[in-house]
Amino acid sequence: MTTPLRFTSTETAEGTPVLKVSGEIDMSNSDDFNHELRGALAHRTTETPLLVDLTAVDYLDSAALAVLFEHVASITVDTNKMLEPILRICGLSDIVPVRVIR
Amino acid sequence: MRSPVPGGLVFPGNGEMAARMRAYPWSETSVGDPATWPAGLATATRICLTSRFPMIVWWGEELSFLYNDAYLPLLGTNHPALAKPGREVWSEIWHIIGPMLRSVMETGEATWSEDLLLPLVRHGYLEETYWTYSYSPLHDDDGVVRGVFTAVSDTTERVLGERRLAVLRDLGALAGSARTVDEACRLVAEALGRAGADVPFAAVHLRRPGTDDLVLASATTDDPDARAREWPLREVLTTDRLQVVEGFGPLPGGSWDAPPTQAVVLPLRGEIGGQNIGVVVLAASAGRMLDEAYHSFLSLVAQQTAALVNAAVAYQVQQRRAEELAELDRAKTTFFSNISHEFRTPLALILGPTEELRAGLADADPRLREELEVIHRNGLRLGKLVNTLLDFSRIEAGRMRASYEPVDLAVHTAELAGVFRSAIEKAGLAFEVDCPPLPAPVQVDRGMWEKVVFNLLSNALKFTFDGGVRVRLRADGDHAVVEVSDTGIGVPASEMPRLFERFHRIESGRSRSNEGSGIGLALVRELVLLHGGEITADSAEGRGTTFTIRVPFGVAHLPAEHLAPAGSTTAPSGANPFLQEALRWLPAEPDQQAPPAAAPPTGGPARVLIADDNADMREYLERLLRPFYEVTAVPDGEDALASARTAPPDLIVSDVMMPRLDGLQLVAALRADPRTAGVPVLLLSARAGQEASIEGLEAGADDYLVKPFAAAELLARVRANVELARLRNHHARWRTALIESLQEGFFVCAEDGSVIEVNGAFGRMLGYGPEGLPYHQPAPWWPAEADAREHIARMLDRTLTEAGGTYTTPVTTRDGRRLWLATSFNHVRDPDTKHTVIVGTVRDVTAEHFAVQRETAVGAVSVRLAGAANLTEALAGAAEELRDVWHARRVLTAVWGDSDVPTLTSTDPAITWATLPPSIRDTLTALRESPLLIPVGDAGIALDHPEGRVALWLDLSEHRPFAQEDRTLLALLGGHLGQGLHRIHQVDQQRKTALALQHAILGPFHLPTGFAVRYEPAARPLEVGGDWYDTVALADGRIGIVVGDCVGHGLDAAAVMGQLRSACRALLLQDNGPARTLMALDVFAATLSGARCTTVFCGVLNPDTGELVYSSAGHPPGILSLPDGARELLEDGRSLPLAVRVGAHRPEATRVVPPRATILLYTDGLVERRRRSLVTGIDQAAQAVTEGSGVPVDDLATDLMSSLAPPGGYEDDVALLLYRHPAPLEMSFTAAAAHLAPVRHALRDWLTRCDLPDPQAQAVLVAAGEACSNAVEHGHRDTPGRTVTLSALVTVDDLRVTVVDTGSWKPPTGTDDDHRGRGLLLMRELMDDVSVVTEPTGTTVDLHTRISPR
Repeated sequence: MTTPLRFTSTETAEGTPVLKVSGEIDMSNSDDFNHELRGALAHRTTETPLLVDLTAVDYLDSAALAVLFEHVASITVDTNKMLEPILRICGLSDIVPVRVIR
Repeated sequence: MRSPVPGGLVFPGNGEMAARMRAYPWSETSVGDPATWPAGLATATRICLTSRFPMIVWWGEELSFLYNDAYLPLLGTNHPALAKPGREVWSEIWHIIGPMLRSVMETGEATWSEDLLLPLVRHGYLEETYWTYSYSPLHDDDGVVRGVFTAVSDTTERVLGERRLAVLRDLGALAGSARTVDEACRLVAEALGRAGADVPFAAVHLRRPGTDDLVLASATTDDPDARAREWPLREVLTTDRLQVVEGFGPLPGGSWDAPPTQAVVLPLRGEIGGQNIGVVVLAASAGRMLDEAYHSFLSLVAQQTAALVNAAVAYQVQQRRAEELAELDRAKTTFFSNISHEFRTPLALILGPTEELRAGLADADPRLREELEVIHRNGLRLGKLVNTLLDFSRIEAGRMRASYEPVDLAVHTAELAGVFRSAIEKAGLAFEVDCPPLPAPVQVDRGMWEKVVFNLLSNALKFTFDGGVRVRLRADGDHAVVEVSDTGIGVPASEMPRLFERFHRIESGRSRSNEGSGIGLALVRELVLLHGGEITADSAEGRGTTFTIRVPFGVAHLPAEHLAPAGSTTAPSGANPFLQEALRWLPAEPDQQAPPAAAPPTGGPARVLIADDNADMREYLERLLRPFYEVTAVPDGEDALASARTAPPDLIVSDVMMPRLDGLQLVAALRADPRTAGVPVLLLSARAGQEASIEGLEAGADDYLVKPFAAAELLARVRANVELARLRNHHARWRTALIESLQEGFFVCAEDGSVIEVNGAFGRMLGYGPEGLPYHQPAPWWPAEADAREHIARMLDRTLTEAGGTYTTPVTTRDGRRLWLATSFNHVRDPDTKHTVIVGTVRDVTAEHFAVQRETAVGAVSVRLAGAANLTEALAGAAEELRDVWHARRVLTAVWGDSDVPTLTSTDPAITWATLPPSIRDTLTALRESPLLIPVGDAGIALDHPEGRVALWLDLSEHRPFAQEDRTLLALLGGHLGQGLHRIHQVDQQRKTALALQHAILGPFHLPTGFAVRYEPAARPLEVGGDWYDTVALADGRIGIVVGDCVGHGLDAAAVMGQLRSACRALLLQDNGPARTLMALDVFAATLSGARCTTVFCGVLNPDTGELVYSSAGHPPGILSLPDGARELLEDGRSLPLAVRVGAHRPEATRVVPPRATILLYTDGLVERRRRSLVTGIDQAAQAVTEGSGVPVDDLATDLMSSLAPPGGYEDDVALLLYRHPAPLEMSFTAAAAHLAPVRHALRDWLTRCDLPDPQAQAVLVAAGEACSNAVEHGHRDTPGRTVTLSALVTVDDLRVTVVDTGSWKPPTGTDDDHRGRGLLLMRELMDDVSVVTEPTGTTVDLHTRISPR
């Protein structure tokens, strides 16, 4: 059994591609997360970085971070207040634009 | 209203009875179709079938019988009995239970039957079991009582536990009551005879000392067959292993019908390190299986038995030793004082008259004179022997009064040797005295040194027949070395070790005389030792012997108070006895026996003292008088007066004109002194004329002679005066002789209290002899202490004012020792002077005083031991008493247990073993090895201690002698102390036993997590009591919490407690709330003797929400310590103690326990102290809980029990229960990624219950998630399927998560592990403290964070 995780691909009004993730990410489903992320990046029509929307994620751990780090060159991240410290501590915030959505 | 109930719901489960009930044709019975059953019956049946406990439902007029699977064993062959009328099922006990059931039916009130004995075959044998039945009413839907619900609980373990505890207490109560081994065995048999239910038969067999033979000492039966039964006694004794025996002949069954089939044969262990003392046979009741609990009970019985017998043995040994020591001491003292008194007095009375006879019979028959000489010589010899023995007794008692003065040892030794020259040369031996001057004087006591030299020389002469004797003196470094060598017969090598042993005579040798006591060399050795020196002997048989004495120079080795200036003492002329004796060994020479020429016809050699400043005149007078008298000559009146006072002469011949003190002044001084008032004085003067002679005679002179005088005239006058004085002084001389022969001190006081006369014994006793007279008050022997001086002053006042009396006072001798003197005195009138004088005797009662002191000390030590709560306290207390008895600087005790480093106790608390000077450590270590209870060294003794050996050492102030009476006292006190320590140890063991059994009554107990409990019996007297705690796991996950306190102490209270606890438990299990539980308990308590007024706190806790519903029956309020440091008392829901008002409504209160708060429930023993308000105690406890809110509850429970305990331990028993919300989280999961999410969710829930701030909760969640991921990924990558455990614990400000797996982590290496490395980084950043410990057995990750305040 893997931890439940849902993905939605959308675009913002400005045309930025968005991968919205909801649920929890840990080592049991980080491969799914990576798979979806690669897919979303592959389907991009522009060079605009993919916005990974983690505001509906309740939990993520180092397995999820590993996936994000793999794609630092081509993503930006929206996150919630709860996850913000983790992204900051591991240094992701330093190399990827991270917005905290309140 | 009735509602149809589906059968599956009324009869749930897969058990036999559920199946039977579902199949039963109910509609054909009076109970009717289950579909029509009232809700009460249906519910009761459902509870009955789902319960693990035996339960019965009786229903309807016939009390139809419904029961569950758990009840089957109790029903036995009566099964199946479903729906049968109760009367038919239990016909044999219906007369008991029938009326009880009826009463429930009629009154609607619950009732109980307690601890029913039910012989039951459960495990293949007829077993003694006890059961408690409760009978509660069952109502139909109209509220009418239609049936009875019975819950049955197995109380066998409790009943047995209490009964066995009583047996052990009964045995324990015997401690100290047996004075003999037989009595101890008899008491054990009597006690076990009363315990037939648990020990139907017991026989104590004791080892015959020194053999492995065993003798039956006592048994619980007089039946000869049973007593003669064979057991593997010897095997158990020698192997030290218990044996279980089966298949023996019939034995008494105790209270059980069937005779025992099993018995345990156990060794009775001796004191530590000793052999087994015997074997005890304990039969087991056939009604109980010989399980582990029974085994341990029987082992405790054997232990108690052994302890009682050992105590009796120890008591006997101790008693005997104390008696022997006292007897020995007494015999020795008596012996030596008898010698002095019985020998010296007759000796004085033999020697005195003999001297007179020798002088008086100068012209008599030579044969007569020869015989007189024999008497005289042997008298001297006997005197010498008695004096030597007395020297010994003084040395032994530490009373040898040495006076060390710096002496030119070369000169002194040569002089002493010179005395023997004539005798040695007369024997035809060469005599070499080789004593060159030494670089420094040597400190010697002249009298002792003389004895040393004379003894060695007389010894040499006695055993030497050819060759010679040599005395040689040399300096050797720090020592003067004296060698006395001879070329005599030598000493056989085999005898050398015993050469200096007292009373040991070497029989084989040839000697000049067979006389000898074998005491001379022993005395020499003692005397040399007193000088800080040593003596050795070197001998070869046939070639000779050399004695070598080494004495240190300087004064450092000698007690300061015994040092005297040079020349301050005169050597006693003790040579005569030695020489006389030695000369007798040699062939006689005729001229030696010649009588003294021209002895004065009227008596022995009278002593004449000449005082004249003119040397020529002095010598002339000496020449004239010497042939007839013993003459002493001095140059002036002062010297004459001193000489006369020390030894009054028969006549003084004095010049009138002299410096310092002239003749007339001398006469006046002599007459003024009672001791010399009677000495005749012949004055010589150059002044002629009547006036001068009248002046002289008026001054008190007896005669007057004018120079120049004719020699014949002088001799005639002297002779006349001596004659006259002899006649006049005849009585006085006898008086003096008698007084001098007195062993008691004798004194005469003048009217002003000055001591004007004393005898020799007085001088020997106090060190203040006749030479120092008169002694004015306050006399020099008055002690320094103010109170003692006051006492003496009062006694002196009595002496002067009362006609006679007796009193005892302390005095200080010249050498600084403390004596106790008994003085008796009388007033008499001096017939010469007409003055009143006081005559008295003093007796040394120091020994008696010590005896009293000994009694007092033994009493004091006993009191300290009785008051001590443990071994350490006992040892420390006794040490203080010992210190006070001896006025020691400190007293040290060292206990060696298993370790090489002993536990040190000192009256001076600053000292530890490590800081102790090595020499003292060596002293204590040596003591440890020394024989038990025999004082050794300066002041030490080894004792037996329950944990090993104890060495005890008194650090006495310098030069404080440790005499024989001190040793006896130390042995006596040591014996008492040793016994006391064992007694305390025993009490301590009994306490542990009692506690174990109380816990057995309270347990077995599975404590839910988050709780901690403690129980402690009252400390003094040691007593279990009626306090209890309990937690009950309820069906829906809630937890029942009970803390209660029955009135009273001891087993009775414990028994009541056990019943109330069971009842309360059962009531809570029936899902009654706290108030209802207590109300039902009221009813029960009213029927139970001793249960009234029990206080109970009863609560039901929801561990998920922290909601606590509670009700208190007069119990002290619970304490709630909140995370912000605030405290509140659980004071609501209060009402009266149990059974005070049966049937009254009880209130209930609810309090939600906030996260990280702690609840303390307790009994009043924890907080109640004499002379202190209960509120103060509760405040103190509450504060302690708040202060401990940061430590885990189990540690907190331990801390509370010790920090709140009063100094002597709890006066009442104490039960305590702690809970902290939420309870720790414990989870195990299989190491697989799929399990991470559920674990995380459970942790998240728990963190919510902990009420952590959100970011912190998330941080903990992520860190713990990383730890779990690591465990899954690394620990179990190679071996999937292992278990990982996660535990989480919260205190008020601290949270800890531990993840343990059974794999081993690999350190991050390749790129693969990049994100694992990130995981570790996350953990470290998110938590305050992270530790990862990898061991071969697995990896433990410990995460720790401080909870930030909101």
